[in-house]
Amino acid sequence: MRHAAEQNESQGHVPEYYEHSIWPALIGLGTGVALTGLFLLLKGLIFPGSLLLLLSFGAVLFGFLYHDTKSWASVVSRSFGRIPRDSVLGAFPVDINLTIQIVILTELLLFGGAFGMYFAIRARFAFWPPPGSPILDDFLPRIQTLVLISSSLLIEWAIWQLKRGNVGAFKVGLIGTTILGSLFPILQLGFEWPHLILNNILTPATNFFGASFYLLTGIHGAHVVAGVIAYGYTDIRAFMGQYTAKNHGFVEATATYWHFVHIIWLFLFALLWQGSRLLT
Amino acid sequence: MKLGDFGTFVIFAAIYAAGTIGLPKISLLAYQVKIGEIPSAFVALFGFPAILGLTLGQFIANLGVEASPIAMLSPVFSFVGLLIIYRSRKFSTLAGCIAYIVITGFWLSVMLPIVKPEVSTSQAAISVFAGQFIAVIVGYLAYLVTARTLSKQGQSSAPQ
Repeated sequence: MRHAAEQNESQGHVPEYYEHSIWPALIGLGTGVALTGLFLLLKGLIFPGSLLLLLSFGAVLFGFLYHDTKSWASVVSRSFGRIPRDSVLGAFPVDINLTIQIVILTELLLFGGAFGMYFAIRARFAFWPPPGSPILDDFLPRIQTLVLISSSLLIEWAIWQLKRGNVGAFKVGLIGTTILGSLFPILQLGFEWPHLILNNILTPATNFFGASFYLLTGIHGAHVVAGVIAYGYTDIRAFMGQYTAKNHGFVEATATYWHFVHIIWLFLFALLWQGSRLLT
Repeated sequence: MKLGDFGTFVIFAAIYAAGTIGLPKISLLAYQVKIGEIPSAFVALFGFPAILGLTLGQFIANLGVEASPIAMLSPVFSFVGLLIIYRSRKFSTLAGCIAYIVITGFWLSVMLPIVKPEVSTSQAAISVFAGQFIAVIVGYLAYLVTARTLSKQGQSSAPQ
């Protein structure tokens, strides 16, 4: 069965066992089960049951890794084998505009929920930030904002150069954007968070402001890391000569995602750092 | 909105928000000149994505620094002013900029004494109009330079 599928793949068909995998559904279900278990555990309810739920998710994950990792090496080598150097893939197989719009919509729902939680908590307090919260130094966040603005400008410049056919300048802009993008999590996880936590200025346990601060900046930081990974992948494809003046949909999609992450940061900067000064 | 326009939208929002809350304040009597107002004239070049971006940027900036809910109405007046700059680009961008200064200046002169009761209306009006005039006219001069440079580039790259 698998042998026949691999033969199909060599003829340009997508093998059946990649198309109809049960694992995404099982992992999705398992995540829900794990979160229920975590909720029960944190609330101190039904300890053995919650442990069992968490373990069942672990079992699903183990099963997936055991079953699927065997084929990862061949999948990666085949996918790169199909993309020779200096080749152009042609139009993206699906409408990239629609794809990124759906991605942005789901992200909007996620961040909408997170900001909704923040404002719901904030509305319960007569004063916000609640007493005991520090006034946060905004020196590093200002640099992070500058980094994001520069990276947004640079990627737009790079795309503009690509549209004019200047592939060399495009690559320089793209690499520059990736470097600037990677500076953001370095500043957050290497300097800002350790400074706040190790000096006991603001921790998730300080109060509701601390908990919301780490939740919101943590979700956003994870998205920045995902953006940097996307730019890394875009860099590889750029250096394989896959983008031209007429074929750059994936770069524009990555840039759109990056701009979205940027705008969320502006909200966070205004609410968490500038907002922490409102009582002064 | 196309994918490329989203970049313009975000960059203008970022310039306004970061320019207002991220950069040091320039005080002028009772009013603080907002660096974020400088790119207003550029909506004549970049169109609707820039208008929406600057309006959102102002909303974000007010979210961070203004304690009064009435200040959250400011983006509405800015949006109208920016729309006038955009509409007037075909005959006079400068006239649009003056209209923007009048609309936003009038609103801020009314709003500032409400937010800061220690400031009188006349004091607020003088400082607000002067502050808005400085920021918007600096932006207008930068817009003129950019528009002329782009126009020259367009002429030099045109087929002979």
